[in-house]
Amino acid sequence: MLTKLSNSKFLIPAMAFLVVLATGAGFYISLKQSQNRQERSEVSQGLFWPNPKQIKDFSSEDHNGNIFGSKQINGKWSFIFFGYTNCPDICPITMSVMVDVYRNLTTEFDDIQTIFVTVDPERDTKEKLSSYVNFFDKNFIGLNGEPENKNSLVRQIGIAYFSNKEKDNYLVDHSASIFVIDPKMRLIAKLSPPHQLEKIIDQFKNIKRFVDEKG
Amino acid sequence: MKKVNAIFFFLLLFLNINIVLAENSQKIHIYDLWINEAPPTATVLVAYVVLKNNSKRLMTLNSVSCPLFSSIEIHRSIIKNDIASMERHSMLEIPSKSTIKLSPGDFHLMLFNPKIPLNTHDTPIFTFSFLDGTQIPVTATIRKRKDMTH
Ligand SMILES: [Cu+2]
Repeated sequence: MLTKLSNSKFLIPAMAFLVVLATGAGFYISLKQSQNRQERSEVSQGLFWPNPKQIKDFSSEDHNGNIFGSKQINGKWSFIFFGYTNCPDICPITMSVMVDVYRNLTTEFDDIQTIFVTVDPERDTKEKLSSYVNFFDKNFIGLNGEPENKNSLVRQIGIAYFSNKEKDNYLVDHSASIFVIDPKMRLIAKLSPPHQLEKIIDQFKNIKRFVDEKG
Repeated sequence: MKKVNAIFFFLLLFLNINIVLAENSQKIHIYDLWINEAPPTATVLVAYVVLKNNSKRLMTLNSVSCPLFSSIEIHRSIIKNDIASMERHSMLEIPSKSTIKLSPGDFHLMLFNPKIPLNTHDTPIFTFSFLDGTQIPVTATIRKRKDMTH
């Protein structure tokens, strides 16, 4: 009887305490989330934070036949676009902006690289890829999408694309965003179209400052 | 006498063609036709153009041709939920008294399988054909890549 009484005596305050604790925790979590959201939007649209995806080891071949993989991504800021050389409108528009971005940023920073990954590896041979990236900038890197390789950038970043290959001159629907990987090999941002030089430069500088601060 | 008749006939034919061409160019004005410079290995190129319909009737563009390409299609680029795609249009309607501009990131002409790599000094001639039978030849220019974003 006594224990029962004392139990109920403590039960209500204990429950009340738990409720306060739970609400407090919930409040803290939602506050933290909204802080993250605010932090993200202040830095840049498309920033993946606080949990950017870590890019795993991979190895591929560039348009010159040289090895290109995680070793070449590590320690650099990489701008990556996924497209195909038979895309004459959206892809060249994006590539042209990437040229401007690359030439602008490399006057200030020396650890920038631009990568074009083809989502049409059947038609985009190494020769086509090479002529394509060189046409835009001699320093651009062309990679085969390697959809069969589970560690390829296409698979790791999770790029969606679709084509009906039964048709002649088939088209490929593909992501229109530019992805950014930081020097610690974290997928740090997805920059959405429309792509403009000034906008991307601003976004990049904000992201870089933020990442340098956060470590 | 027969000779004079023949000359007269050809003169009349010539005049007639000129009148038809003049009427067509008044009805619909096609200008600023340009091809975006592409890598020499490119198998698909793109062209942009402006079509101005001065007539009182709807004009429907149903084909574009140029001997330098295996085929030409009218496309529109669309970006939806971050996915870029192109849809093919079998024709393009230009309402009366209005202008339609084909431009980067929107409507464009897809030029398949160029027979030769094009240079900036090339001036290929395209033929624009309309549903009412009107055919208009237009000369294209090749623009350097750098001009695309400006
Ligand atoms: Cu197209």
